[in-house]
Amino acid sequence: MVAELTGAQVDRAFERRTEPTRALGQDAEAVGRACYDMALRFHRGGRLLCFGNGSAAADAAHIVVEFVHPVIMGKRALPAVSLANDAATLSGITRLGGFEDSFAAQLRLHAAADDIALGISADGDCPNVARALRTAGDAGLLTVALVGGDGGQIARIEGLDHVLVARSDDPRVVKEIHVTAYHVLWELVHVFFEQPGVLAPSVLG
Amino acid sequence: MSDLESLYPFLYAGKSNVDAVLSEVCRSTTDKTEEITRLRADVLKLYRDQLIDCASAMARSFAAGGRLFTFGNGGSSTDAQAIAELFQNPGPAGHPLPAAALATDVAVLSALANDVSFDVVFARPLAANGRAGDIALGLSTSGGSTNVLRGFEEANRRGMLTIGLAGYDGGNMAEADTIEHLFVMPSSSVHRIQEAQTTTYHVLWELTQLALNPA
Repeated sequence: MVAELTGAQVDRAFERRTEPTRALGQDAEAVGRACYDMALRFHRGGRLLCFGNGSAAADAAHIVVEFVHPVIMGKRALPAVSLANDAATLSGITRLGGFEDSFAAQLRLHAAADDIALGISADGDCPNVARALRTAGDAGLLTVALVGGDGGQIARIEGLDHVLVARSDDPRVVKEIHVTAYHVLWELVHVFFEQPGVLAPSVLG
Repeated sequence: MSDLESLYPFLYAGKSNVDAVLSEVCRSTTDKTEEITRLRADVLKLYRDQLIDCASAMARSFAAGGRLFTFGNGGSSTDAQAIAELFQNPGPAGHPLPAAALATDVAVLSALANDVSFDVVFARPLAANGRAGDIALGLSTSGGSTNVLRGFEEANRRGMLTIGLAGYDGGNMAEADTIEHLFVMPSSSVHRIQEAQTTTYHVLWELTQLALNPA
């Protein structure tokens, strides 16, 4: 049995996106500051390391392809890797070290202090993303979190550099806000990166 | 004038300080959120009825034992993966449905690309695994990806339900007679197209769930 669908159901689904998208616009300064810090790290030779679970694992892969293979001709490739792509590595680490260590274990092997750790979690309550961000922060990486809802346990971690919260409890809407946010992160990192004046040593303080 | 210069003339005006750049990037962020909101409204206006038709057809397919196959390149391959994950693992309130993203099998993908051609990397797995009544959902921002078009040809030949997400003017996907339900995001920005496609497949998922599990 398949039920009849109505136009009102479609309208309501689209309407649910409007306010959280406007809220992202209101967070523009936080987005810009994250981009500036990311650009400084790339300028110092750092790499971007991305991770998340489920749909956010797909986002991690998407962010990497944005940076490594830019859609706009002439933009330089910047180094980025997803820690969520390799099913053999992930399931192997999870079996021996437990789910919580699935990304942190890879960071301990691969991360350098100049790198950027970007964790994605729709409700902010992914324990393996939280642990990886803590591990990254302790190792001196720049830490950036894309979360939603009330920010969950990730937003409560002390000392994270940038936490961007999508203002919705619907994980699908949160993902859409995150997609716009990381498209903007990519574009604005290049704006800073291609402006030598703002990345000069004197500005680094 | 370079692209960057035309987009961000302040960069070339000699005011190279962080605050000036920050204030410009803030404006740019706000502009983009307004742009995607307008694009979503355009998509709703263009496709309200087609979204209902398409989700109803997907629900009928699943109810009859159909499975969903998703495919795309680059960022679109990650959308294909996110769609398959969402249908299979929708959370406690949802009804899990069988789906697979074709580009996640790197062994099959690289074997076909190496031995035959990158053009067949989606068509061949669909030929091997697809059955009449299954669903093929392909994404291409340009509408022009040859392997996605070949995937639709194969799916259509096998009697699968075919659904396409594209951008710009739909490219070759709009010309093809192999795609039953085609949604073209009317934008020339790859990023905004991807964002509107994400909304479109989320809404298709939500409507499919509502059709299968009326509240």
